[in-house]
Amino acid sequence: MKKILIFTLTVFGLFSCKKEVLDKTNPNQITSATYWKTESDVQAALAATYTLFRDVNSGYWGVRGIELTNGRGDDFFIRNDVADLYRLSTFTNTPDNGPVNDFWNGSYRAIFRANQVIENVGKVPGLSDAAKAAYVSEAKFLRGVNYFNLVINFGDVPLHLKVPVSKDDYFVAKSPEADVWKQVIQDFTDAAANLPTSYPSNFVGRATKGAAIAYMGKAQLYSKDYTGAETTLKQLTTAPFSYSLMPNYQDNFLATTKNNAESVFEIQLADVGGTNPWAGENANEAIGVTTAQEFAPAEVAGWFEVSPTDKLFNEFQKEKTTASDFDPRMYATLVWNYPGATFYNKPFSDFQLLFGYSSMFKKYQNFNQNGEITGASGASDYTSSDNERALRYADVLLMIGEALTMQGKVAEGFTYVKQIRDRANLPAIAAPASQDALMTEIRHQRMIEFARENQRFYDLKRWGLLQQEITNSDKVGKEYFVPGKHDYYPIPQSEINSNSKMVQNPKW
Amino acid sequence: MQKFTKLFLRRMIFTLVTLCAICFSAAAQTTAVSGVVSAKEDNTPLPGVTVTIKNTQQGVATDANGKFSLNAPTGAILVFNLVGYEPTEVPVNGPVVNVSLSARQNSLNEVVVIGYGTVKKKDLTGAVANIKGSDIKSQGVSDVTKSLQGKLPGVTIEAAGGNPGSGTRILIRGVGSLNNATPLYLVDGVPVANINNLSQNDIQSIDILKDASAAAIYGSRAANGVVLVTTKSGKSGQTVIQANANYGLQKIAHRVDVLNAEQWATVSNQAHDAAGLARLDIAKNPESLGAGTNWQDAIYRSAPIQQYDLLLSGGNQSTNYSVSGSFLDQDGIVKVTGYNRYNLRARSETSKGPFKFGETIILTREKTISMPGGWGGQGGDPVGSAAKMIPVFGIYDPTAQGGFAGATGPVVNVANPLAQLNLEDINRVSSSILTNAYGQLTVLPGLTYKLNFGYTANFGTGTDYYKRYVVGTLFSHPTNDLSISKDQTDLLLVENTLNYTKLIGKHSIQALAGYTYQKNDYTYLLSARTDLPDGLENIDAGAGTSTTGGNSIQSTLLSALGRIIYAYDDRYLLTASIRRDGSSRFGANNKYGNFPSLAIGWNASNEKFYGSSLKDILSTFKLRASYGVLGNQEIGDYQYSAAVASNINYVTGTTQQKWFGAIQTSFADPNIKWESTKTVNAGFDAGFFHDKLFVTADYFIKTTDDVLLNVPIPGSAGSTSNPVVNAGSLRNKGVEFGVNYTDQIGKLKYSVFGTLSAVKNKVLQLGTGTQQIFGGQPTHHGASSTLTEAGGPITGFYLIKDLGIFQSQAEIDAYKGKNGNVIQPNAHPGDIKFSDTNGDGQITAEDKVYMGSPFPNFEYGFGFNASYKNFDINAFFQGTHGNKIYNGLRQDLESMSLEFNYSTPTLKAWTPQNTNTTVPRAVINDPNFNDQTSSRFLESGSYMRLKTLQIGYTLDGNMKRKLNVHSLRIYVSGDNVFTITKYTGFNPDLGRTGSIFDRGVDFGHVAYPLARTFSVGLQLGL
Repeated sequence: MKKILIFTLTVFGLFSCKKEVLDKTNPNQITSATYWKTESDVQAALAATYTLFRDVNSGYWGVRGIELTNGRGDDFFIRNDVADLYRLSTFTNTPDNGPVNDFWNGSYRAIFRANQVIENVGKVPGLSDAAKAAYVSEAKFLRGVNYFNLVINFGDVPLHLKVPVSKDDYFVAKSPEADVWKQVIQDFTDAAANLPTSYPSNFVGRATKGAAIAYMGKAQLYSKDYTGAETTLKQLTTAPFSYSLMPNYQDNFLATTKNNAESVFEIQLADVGGTNPWAGENANEAIGVTTAQEFAPAEVAGWFEVSPTDKLFNEFQKEKTTASDFDPRMYATLVWNYPGATFYNKPFSDFQLLFGYSSMFKKYQNFNQNGEITGASGASDYTSSDNERALRYADVLLMIGEALTMQGKVAEGFTYVKQIRDRANLPAIAAPASQDALMTEIRHQRMIEFARENQRFYDLKRWGLLQQEITNSDKVGKEYFVPGKHDYYPIPQSEINSNSKMVQNPKW
Repeated sequence: MQKFTKLFLRRMIFTLVTLCAICFSAAAQTTAVSGVVSAKEDNTPLPGVTVTIKNTQQGVATDANGKFSLNAPTGAILVFNLVGYEPTEVPVNGPVVNVSLSARQNSLNEVVVIGYGTVKKKDLTGAVANIKGSDIKSQGVSDVTKSLQGKLPGVTIEAAGGNPGSGTRILIRGVGSLNNATPLYLVDGVPVANINNLSQNDIQSIDILKDASAAAIYGSRAANGVVLVTTKSGKSGQTVIQANANYGLQKIAHRVDVLNAEQWATVSNQAHDAAGLARLDIAKNPESLGAGTNWQDAIYRSAPIQQYDLLLSGGNQSTNYSVSGSFLDQDGIVKVTGYNRYNLRARSETSKGPFKFGETIILTREKTISMPGGWGGQGGDPVGSAAKMIPVFGIYDPTAQGGFAGATGPVVNVANPLAQLNLEDINRVSSSILTNAYGQLTVLPGLTYKLNFGYTANFGTGTDYYKRYVVGTLFSHPTNDLSISKDQTDLLLVENTLNYTKLIGKHSIQALAGYTYQKNDYTYLLSARTDLPDGLENIDAGAGTSTTGGNSIQSTLLSALGRIIYAYDDRYLLTASIRRDGSSRFGANNKYGNFPSLAIGWNASNEKFYGSSLKDILSTFKLRASYGVLGNQEIGDYQYSAAVASNINYVTGTTQQKWFGAIQTSFADPNIKWESTKTVNAGFDAGFFHDKLFVTADYFIKTTDDVLLNVPIPGSAGSTSNPVVNAGSLRNKGVEFGVNYTDQIGKLKYSVFGTLSAVKNKVLQLGTGTQQIFGGQPTHHGASSTLTEAGGPITGFYLIKDLGIFQSQAEIDAYKGKNGNVIQPNAHPGDIKFSDTNGDGQITAEDKVYMGSPFPNFEYGFGFNASYKNFDINAFFQGTHGNKIYNGLRQDLESMSLEFNYSTPTLKAWTPQNTNTTVPRAVINDPNFNDQTSSRFLESGSYMRLKTLQIGYTLDGNMKRKLNVHSLRIYVSGDNVFTITKYTGFNPDLGRTGSIFDRGVDFGHVAYPLARTFSVGLQLGL
């Protein structure tokens, strides 16, 4: 009897287990507590912050970002396929608009990651102070660009400048636009202080001192600080910087001439990594963009989502070159039915213009290929490797010109505008006499220089000309534009739903 | 003790009569016969059983140990009777006759499986729903749980997708958790993820533990209820061979009505004209288009379903066994899809002396061929694409690569659904083993020790072979690509339990103590490659780029448990249990949770004061009440630590190489802990008219605290996902009824049964207090339709209210806000008027109001079984009432603002000539947002369905002898015969998987319609 009892209890005891059995660590990922140990950790963290710029759903220079930044311009048409994009381009969007929501989230994710770098670089053993300062500057540059993108699109936005520690830190109210601009300029100032002028060849493409200065000047221009913008941007015209305009305008938009002399800040894209551009943030993701495929015509199996308006088409034709030919920028930006026109190795007459406009976009399309389905790696992954040029030296020059003109220094301002005109082989003209005349010329030049480069809508906004120019155009949906409302996107509805401190933008 | 007095009297009479009989039949030879009568379910001796000689009045009763002895002539038949048990007749073959009596259906002597043991219904204090395998009549379905819908009070069973092999979702007493509301499933004591792959004919019974007292013994995993499945085992002395075969045809029960080519072109032209935009080229000549392609006809078919199984069982005093095999093959009603399954099961039990050993082994192999989820674009899966595809386009194009034609021109990129089905092969092959092995030792009389091992392993291979094609101008895929994933899920369970049963006079005690360990392992591997040559489906054949991936997850659970079941004199009952669980899913501070419960019961019908006249009407009556705490830990693993995600890559360098990236992308809360559910339950079980009518009823209040959930945090915080936190409190209150009436009129035997459950849920607290969780996005681009917030129901519908149609410009101009501005300035006559609920002069998301719940006010099921001579008929109805469904597919099809096909109601779109309609005007860019998420698309989801109708014929004695079989029944059966509902979508039983916040939303992209099945079958016993 007793024996059996003892036997039972022993068996019981044998099968009882130790408490450590319940301690399981994730075998797939390191935890943040054990990260930030080496310099490559810091670099990897920066890579993860940069790459959000090209994210397929939320990146400012990913396909949806290109669509929502260009879509509202008087030079752009988006077709009625993805309803949310059609709506934002026709001023019939609502706060639950998907791409706008994704862009908001993506920018703040990048800000969270940049904040992590800023706060944790100091912990890494073995890094020199100079190196640490450079990394912090790089993170501040990235944060600054993201806040810049947010403020020009939404106006008042919340400022997150630290990594959230407790749950209360998730909920931040929005700051007035002026305060956001101040923070943007501060971030670029800090960045410019310690970033290198250039990188070794294996890191070409990262943010340089020049990039930080250019963005700082741009922020000042947007804030109407013309003297500040002039001083800041003029630094880029002399040593140690060696920026120059590419003689061939089109070289700024080809995959073969990336990171060239005119490039100030470029989003690096390549068909490397994985083969699925929609895989999400993991090893299967192809690290290019699908923009070229989405814009390509149906005849090459593209999704023909966008078209230039005829207003843009006509704007290019206002002045011919010295050889009485169309502006080379027109040939590089658009393709239309001119003699000998080819597109994707086919005569342009093979293509059908579906929307009643006269041209298609050529800028940033890989038009020397047969189509956009096959990426540079050879996989059919719809991925384009053509870098998006976020800021070119041409923009710096025109910004200096504008800053000078707005201060009344018309003659000096024209010398900068002339460089753009000369590169485009336009005939020499006399310097405009008045500030208004030169501003008109600058506006005209910006419209045709930067078409499809996310500038037009924001330029019109800061000039106060949105209503006027949209009304005087062939833009579909222009009758729905409400001044003061559609200048900004609404704060995404999901943010309003989850953040009790958030208030919607006026008129939305 | 009236029973005993009565019996004593009877005994006296019988003895007298016997003596007389003996006097009168001197010729009859008698022998002394004795034996023991016990209960079949658990072999306990039965006292008080009357043992009579058939057709005489002679008889005795069994004593306290179930023993009887009497004198009977050889060849006589003894009849055994006891209230609550089936009368049994046994011929006298020798001096010893031992008999087992089986409890009468629904009587309180039935044995019910509860955790770690069984208990008689009369001793049960918890709320347990029980169904026998033989009650699961419907045959035309592949999944046993589908046949349980509406049969068990408090148990809701819904389809988890309509595609073959998709299984079901079981909800017990409402939705108790916002994360994961699935109950714990156990098959022969082994935890499994679901019971979709069991063969129906292998099931002996299903017991569902609904309240805390029943389920607390499973503690941490039991907050959503426990489903215990027991497979068949052999019976001593009876060798059984059973074969079943069933063949049926399935057809789609209900389609959505869409336009044909000519009708579509007419509406499309109307819409373009109204917007002042050019008509589409393909719509230019409506009359010449005719009917065009009927895309829904193209993808649906009549699909066969067949099942065959064979069962062998038998045994003797010391061993019993049951072995079965089955095969099921189901084609889906959507072409190309299908499911097949092979099962093999063996179960045996052997006893010798104090030892008992047993095992169950179930091997399963399943193959599921699924349809693709979508090819990008806006159509979704083939079912959604078939409804949206413009009928002008044709199906085939022999000149195109792949052979299919598709949409061209400036229309929405909806893919040709037949092309989707044929050009992408997606299948999953899954092999599983379930094993249970146990050894039991009777240490002392009444004290047994049991060591129980459970092991399950599931090996799955998923294949996605994506062929090269050009389909229209919008879809192009130049290379053949192959992706193969393999996953393995293992579970190991070790349980030690000590069980002590003792009867001391009128006190009966059953005590249990145990210690268990459970470990789960999951590994996953993926390999993919592009650019394979035509016809080859192996990774090595691919010339393009490779992709690989893999991860693994482990979790463990350690628990100690104890329970006492106490009964005094079969009248007063008490059950108390406690369980302490430790889980690896929580951080160091919160690993353990304690889950106690207490229940009491009173068998009023056993009381002295319970008169016999009352007993004639209310033969059994029991009251029960319980309280307990259960836990839930069904979140992902490792949620308490913030991880650094890798492979967030960028590009860098003059040679544009991959730049490896890694960083923390989301937040985590290290202090997450168990979700706990407190349930209070009160109920009664009553038997009327000698248990002819049986009624059970329960009332419960279930409160869940520390609900684990991904609380949505603002996008501006920068996390890629919402962290899991304990953030809420829910309450479910409800009543359940079950009724069962069995009777006989002459040769007609019949029984009628029904269940009714009504549950109301309420969110008591959520997140930060003012937290609101939005969900239920109904279309690719629509606003959310549901809201969950404190004070309201879980996932209630919050929608902008549709007030009808503006008939004139004057009405639009008169609809002004407080500040005098027109509220809907973009509206034209024929557009929808929306309610400016908050009075701010605009129609925005702030105008949403509560418009109903996806949860029904009540659910019910009722049916009957009847048999007359050799014929039998059974029918079963099931339904819900009061639930609402948001029809997302209709939001797209009635929108008329997008370039795809429209539904038939759009033919009645508002025009100045046709103003008496509810459909707004057709206008392609919809400036008034007529098609936004609003109450316009909220429909009633109440339905009643004839779920099963079966008519059978059992061969009688002569035929059986001729064919040399023991029993043979042939039948015809119909499943989902008809549905009465106002809902216009495919099926009001939505089957939407995923988040609880999407419940009640019919999202056209992921639909699979309901099938109606007619089948014939036979059941053969040899």
